[in-house]
Amino acid sequence: MSKEKIIGNSYPVKDANLKVTGQLKYVGDMKLPNMLYAKMLFSSVAHANIKNIDISEALKVPGVRAIATCFNTPQTKYNSALRFFEHDIPKTEAVFPRTVRYVGDRVAAVAAETEKAAKEAIKLIKVEYEELPVILDVEEAIKEEAIHIHPGGNKVIEMTANAGDVDKAFEECYRIFEDKYEVPPIHHGAIETHVAIAQYDYTDKLTLWTPTQNTFAFRILLSQIMDMPLHKIRVIRPTIGGAFGGKLEMTIEPVAAILSRMTKRPVKLVLDRTETILTTRVRHGAVVYMKTGVKDDGTILAQDIKMYTNTGAYASSALNVMGALSHKIYKVYKIPNMRFSGIPVYTNTITAGAMRGYGSPQVFMAQQTQLGKIARELNLDLIEIQKKNSVEPNGVDQRFNSPLGNPRLLDCIEKGRELFKWDEKKNSKTEEGSWVKGIGMAIGAHGNGVFGAHRDVITLILKLNEDGTLTLITGTHDMGNGTVTMQTQMIAEVLGVTPDKVETFETDTDACAWNLGDYASRGVFVEGAAAKKTAEKLKELIISDAKELLEVEDELELVEGFVVSKSNSEKRVSLSDIAVNSQKVKNRELTVIEDYASPAGLTSYGAHFAEVLVNKETGEIKVIDFVAVHDVGRMINPISLEGQLEGGIQMGLGYALSEGYVFDEKGKPINNSFTTYKMFRTVDMPKITTFFIEELEEKGPYGAKSIGECAVVPVAPAVCNAVADALNIDVNELPIKIKRGV
Amino acid sequence: MLVKLDINNFLYEVEVEPRETLINVLREKLDLTGAKRGCNSSNCGACKVLIDGEAVKSCGILAKNVESKKIYTIEGFATSEGKLHPIQESFVEAGAVQCGYCTPGMIITTQALLNKNSSPTEEEIREAFKENLCRCTGYVKIIEAVKLSAKKLGVNKNE
Repeated sequence: MSKEKIIGNSYPVKDANLKVTGQLKYVGDMKLPNMLYAKMLFSSVAHANIKNIDISEALKVPGVRAIATCFNTPQTKYNSALRFFEHDIPKTEAVFPRTVRYVGDRVAAVAAETEKAAKEAIKLIKVEYEELPVILDVEEAIKEEAIHIHPGGNKVIEMTANAGDVDKAFEECYRIFEDKYEVPPIHHGAIETHVAIAQYDYTDKLTLWTPTQNTFAFRILLSQIMDMPLHKIRVIRPTIGGAFGGKLEMTIEPVAAILSRMTKRPVKLVLDRTETILTTRVRHGAVVYMKTGVKDDGTILAQDIKMYTNTGAYASSALNVMGALSHKIYKVYKIPNMRFSGIPVYTNTITAGAMRGYGSPQVFMAQQTQLGKIARELNLDLIEIQKKNSVEPNGVDQRFNSPLGNPRLLDCIEKGRELFKWDEKKNSKTEEGSWVKGIGMAIGAHGNGVFGAHRDVITLILKLNEDGTLTLITGTHDMGNGTVTMQTQMIAEVLGVTPDKVETFETDTDACAWNLGDYASRGVFVEGAAAKKTAEKLKELIISDAKELLEVEDELELVEGFVVSKSNSEKRVSLSDIAVNSQKVKNRELTVIEDYASPAGLTSYGAHFAEVLVNKETGEIKVIDFVAVHDVGRMINPISLEGQLEGGIQMGLGYALSEGYVFDEKGKPINNSFTTYKMFRTVDMPKITTFFIEELEEKGPYGAKSIGECAVVPVAPAVCNAVADALNIDVNELPIKIKRGV
Repeated sequence: MLVKLDINNFLYEVEVEPRETLINVLREKLDLTGAKRGCNSSNCGACKVLIDGEAVKSCGILAKNVESKKIYTIEGFATSEGKLHPIQESFVEAGAVQCGYCTPGMIITTQALLNKNSSPTEEEIREAFKENLCRCTGYVKIIEAVKLSAKKLGVNKNE
């Protein structure tokens, strides 16, 4: 395992020096000559037909150049979660709809010489609404009598996934537990708000700069909405200031594009924090009915899960998220009889979309919190009941009887138990005044890419430069998680150079080959493997040229910028000489373009442990110790893995204890700023310990699999179980709220 | 109104509106875009700059009120020869940088803290950073970077 020189070592993100000096330009930092500034008008009501929009006064504001509304823009319906050209998902959204369906829906946009003028004009636009009944709750929305938010009703689809004979198995159970769990929509909280710059020029070409995770799909969506051919649309992804799935789906980009086409000038549109909270995307809120039947020793015989997700105003990721979570729930336990049914539901709330974990945090919250309850009621140790049910390394997906790869969930549980000192803590439960301690744990899983669901492909271009350095042209979207750094590590490892010798050109639809997009934890497992494969292809060419140059048939290796004979180290030629020879003598550039398709859909696992203090008088909850152990196959970049996991824990703790949209009765989110929407800060964070299990995953590059999304999945249920343990109560919703004087 | 601003040891004369915030002047008028705008309501700390040694949220202060004060933005930290400041080095080395959007504000806060307290405890660091939001790192590596900065600057002081 240790023969590699680069893999397994820590490297800061590649652009760290630019980020610490303020030199790196995010889209919000960019200006183009002759650029206009845009502001938007968002719906103030949750459900209404737009009868009229009067822009006459707004047009009189000096500096205003264009105003876009539903009466002068394309009404083409699209789905913002599109992944590839012919992707067939419900198209329900228009850039400026005639019927608004949530507070924050797009009503109009102004482009002006200054942001101040645009803001002033927005205030002068008069909208006449014909208000319609508002539905905020999923279970209200599916009632017979509920008004239809979209034609055809409020159920986007009904999905099922089954294994075994659930009804029969329930008859054989020692006890059956039936509980309802509820989780709210939450905000991604990337510190960079949503922003885009569009430039429609006099060759009828549209160039768009946006911090997206889904560049190539944005090009297709813009092509559909704007009725333009693909070669006339160029999407460039400059630096992304955090995304977490929130920048996967298209939101404001067509607005900038439409205004630019109306004015033939570059247009910059920046949302502020409140606008980002009100109008972009959220993690699906959900209601989960969990029914579990067990034997007296805690072995689960049957599980029946019914789930409603709140997709909000538009279909967006409704199908994808439900589909993804319905798969993942089958990959953690050896439950022979499982039944899943899920219904994504329209409501008059903000559209839900992709968010780190993609359905897993919702369903695992319910499953894992109920398992904590089962352990308490059967008087079993939660760890023992976990181990009894968890998949083993040779385990199979119960639904398809297909192998799961090398799941090391049991190792995660055991290692976490040791690091957290579970047994010690369990036997020393203390109470100090009104503060009482509790411990809990939970497991979670997430996939590696989208094998089986979509075409899980990336194509990379790698060039050897004349001085022996390399340039990688990659359609990847690094969100600060180190995806590009990891790709350079893979290339450096194969080609015997250090990662600083590999420069990258990233994500520009005109210059890079296609990539599906950066989501679904594709980074290491798909894109990393692609980088390795591409470098290996280049290595073959290099070695072939080196053999000619050195006139040897020996076995050659690449070491520190040279190709060297294994039998005689004096026989060597530099990568530089090979590149020059290739141009000068062979009349070709040493460049490879290599496609890579993921070979499998494997799962990553984690076990999390939380210790909490709960104040019985005030209901206050403090997390004081947190241990997270993950099965990553092989560590590619330890510092990056730790950072991803620690960040996932911050996000998960917020989900558990402080985050969540709260709507007033008319559908307006009350907590729409960082004053009222509470994310975890330094002073809220517990002591964190992370650990990684390195048991190789055969199909992963160097044995590696992902961490990005799995990191967040077990956090909230671990806290739920700890709070439940402290007070000996049931916890059924997030964020957890304990009544005073419980 | 015309104001004189001393930023990164350079004197700028700039026309500002009476109610214009410093972040606006920095980003829109002086093209000093290192300070980021994450919330514009003094809640995230991404826009912090150093004013007379204190970390100040530039979205919450008027440009006209900082005349005759010594202002440093993130652009004023590295040397003109391109060498990183020890705090910047520490953030890179500790892996405290992911998306980087909160990083300038975090570095400014580090400097302000270390100006007052050259070897802060972990608790003091957490307290000093309670107004800086980060969504990527979970703060663990940021706190490590602050400790490393204190060590580096302490060592530098003794040299």
